[in-house]
This record gives sequence, C-alpha cells and structure tokens, in this order.
Amino acid sequence: MNFRVVAEIISSLDMSMGSGFSNDNLNNLSEWDQLLILVGRNKDKSAFKALYEHFAPRLKSFLLRIGSDESAAEEICQEAMIMVWRKAESFNPESAGASTWIFTIARNKRIDRLRKENRPMPDFNDPSFYKKPIDKSDDILQRVDEEKKIKKALKNLPPEQAKLIFSAYYDEKSHKKIADETDLPLGTVKSRIRLAINRLRTQLDEFGGSD
Amino acid sequence: MNKQNTLTLLESLLIDYANGTLPLALEVLVETHISMNPASAKSIRMLLQIGGALMENSDPVSLSEGSFERLMAEIDKTDNSEEEAHLFVSNDNNLLPLPLRDYIQDVDSPRSWKRIGIGLFEQALDFGDNFGSAKLYRIAPGSSVPSHSHDGNEVTLVLSGGFTDEYGTYGPGDISIQETGAVHKPVADDDGECIVLAVNEGPIVLTGPVGRLLNMLRK
Repeated sequence: MNFRVVAEIISSLDMSMGSGFSNDNLNNLSEWDQLLILVGRNKDKSAFKALYEHFAPRLKSFLLRIGSDESAAEEICQEAMIMVWRKAESFNPESAGASTWIFTIARNKRIDRLRKENRPMPDFNDPSFYKKPIDKSDDILQRVDEEKKIKKALKNLPPEQAKLIFSAYYDEKSHKKIADETDLPLGTVKSRIRLAINRLRTQLDEFGGSD
Repeated sequence: MNKQNTLTLLESLLIDYANGTLPLALEVLVETHISMNPASAKSIRMLLQIGGALMENSDPVSLSEGSFERLMAEIDKTDNSEEEAHLFVSNDNNLLPLPLRDYIQDVDSPRSWKRIGIGLFEQALDFGDNFGSAKLYRIAPGSSVPSHSHDGNEVTLVLSGGFTDEYGTYGPGDISIQETGAVHKPVADDDGECIVLAVNEGPIVLTGPVGRLLNMLRK
C-alpha cells in the first residue's frame, strides 16, 4: 500500500472528523479500513480499485465455499462491491472493520437475491436501535482488538473445529449435504456447529485483555 | 421445552440470522429480540466479525475477465440516478421496537385487535413470505391463554410485560420456543398487560436450516 495515500488520508481525516478519530486511532486501522474511509470521503477510484482487488476475489472464494455457484458468487460479489462504493460514506470504523462490513453487505445481497423485498439490516451500533441501553464503551481500539483476537483465534484452531466454524456460514443446501454425507441428523450437525462457535467464544474470553 | 433446549435453539437462531438463512418473520423476530437483549447483540456482533475474518482469509479466486471495468461502468451509469436509501428511522418515543415498525399497522387502535378470549386479543402480521403465521397477542394483566398445543413449532418473543407457563417465566426480550404438541398455559403477570410476538411455522414445510431443525423435532 502506497504510503502517500495513507498520509493523505490521515491528514484529511484529522481535520474533519470528531474527537474519536485521533491520529493514534487511525494508525490502528488496517490499510483496508483507511482505503474505505478514503472512498467514502473522496470517492477515490484508485482506493476503491485497491479494495476491489483485495476483497472481490476473497469474497467470491468465500461465497463459492459456502455453497453459491459460480455465476451467483460472481453476481453477489459485484453487487456487494457496488454497495461498498455507494455506502462507503456510512462506513464507521468504530463499529466494524472493512472485512466485517463487506461481509455484512454480501450477507444482505445474498438474502436480497432470495427475496422480492430488499430489506436493510439495522445498524446494530446505533444506540437508538436498542430498547434497553447498551454499554457504549465501544471505540476503534476495542473494535480493532476484537477483530484481531478473532483472526488470531481462527488461525490457531484445530482443523476440525475450524471446518465446523466455517460451516456455520454455509447455505441451506450445504448443511443438508453435510447431514447426508455424515449420516447425521441435521439437528446434530447444527448442534456441533453451535458447540464449535461456543468453544471459540470461550477461547476469545480466555484471551482476556491481553493481545 | 425446557430452558436449556430453548437456549440451544436460540443460539442456532442467532447463527442462522447472522448467516442470513431465516425466513422473514423469524428474521424480524430475532432482530427485535437483539434490540432488547444486549447479550444476543454481542453474539451477533461476534458472528459477523467471524464471517468477515473467514471471508478475508479465503484464498482469492479470480473474477471473470474485465469484471472491475464492468463494475465501474455500472457505477458511472447509476450514480446519478441513485435512489434514496431506505434506512431505519429511529424514533425513541415509539413503543414498538424498530425492526417491527414496518410490519405493524397500529398497535394502539382497538380496531387492529381481534378479541379471541377473555382478556385476550390478537393481531395477524403479514410478512408476505408464505411462512406459517406471525401474530401479536395482547393478554390482560393476570389473564391466561387457554391451555393449548401447537400444530407447528412456535417461537414467542415478549415485547412488553411478562408471562409464566409450565416451562418458565419470560420478561421483555425473552424468547420461548414451543415444539409441536407441547401443551402450555401462559399466564400474564399481574402488574401489566403482556404483548408477545409469536411466529408459528404452521402447515408450511420450512426450508431454512432452523426450519428443518424445527421440522425434525416435530417428527
């Protein structure tokens, strides 16, 4: 990633964003988060191209692995990346990193294909979404830390558990296929996935505040 | 169904929600639950983060030739005629949780409620997706719903007040799951009206993972 681009982002952001976006905080963002901010602020096509070249092939690969066929994966991928361009302004690095944000957009696009109505997903980081007040202690550092821990934990999982976690994101027919191939009831397959996610959650808690 | 099974099914519902495989009525029910339950909100945040990490860790697969150029052409063509984005508008004065507002006509008007028993009213909701039935029930303080069983499995979310049945006590934001054939007699708390959203799979055979799980439990 080009240092000039990052320097430009940092100097332009510092001027106009709130107190939550100090240079220190921005330095903690991944280069992809920073590029996304640049697309949102300046409609910068070269920043978007860099994002596309990084994420589109990974998103397509992910969609293929969770059960989409070639043409659906490519279509969802393109539609999601169009949304990334259009919605980049609303990207809030306190709420989610670029990969989580793009994953969520693709999730919604996948649903839209199956439904007539395009229904937006609510903003889970908007305090007014909640009937009960939630802790609003979230900030960039905490979010970056959470996502780092998840990536690290996923990398260190035993292969069997990693496969199970991945299969939580499979589409319906892929879940059915696992049940058929393993001769296990679908409920048992789902239980194992749920247990694998619970175990990962426990592992994340055990990391505690350390990095 | 005991609390442990309910907890297990709730976790599966949250996973399916994050993955986007629930029928609309259940999707809205789960979203409403999330808006009322910070622990589930935290779970969803984590599930989306895991999805993002798995996506970014996937080995890149090339897109078809010229896909970026086609995408930019599409963007240039449509950027000028962009529609107003449909956003959830927040309104703190409204009684209803945000996700439900699109689907409920008028919660206060007596005309939107049908009396089905002593101190018991219902309002059918239309999610337009052929998925069983979704209804709001309004139970007067201390009133009970007559003992009943279910044709299909039913997921019930307490919107306000609370009730108690053979399986437990439920307050605002809590979910109770009844399997087919389970018999229960919910009694509303004495200190206020109880409003719940109940999604029943009804006679339709479900196709989603949770739906199939529910179907399987039915056998």
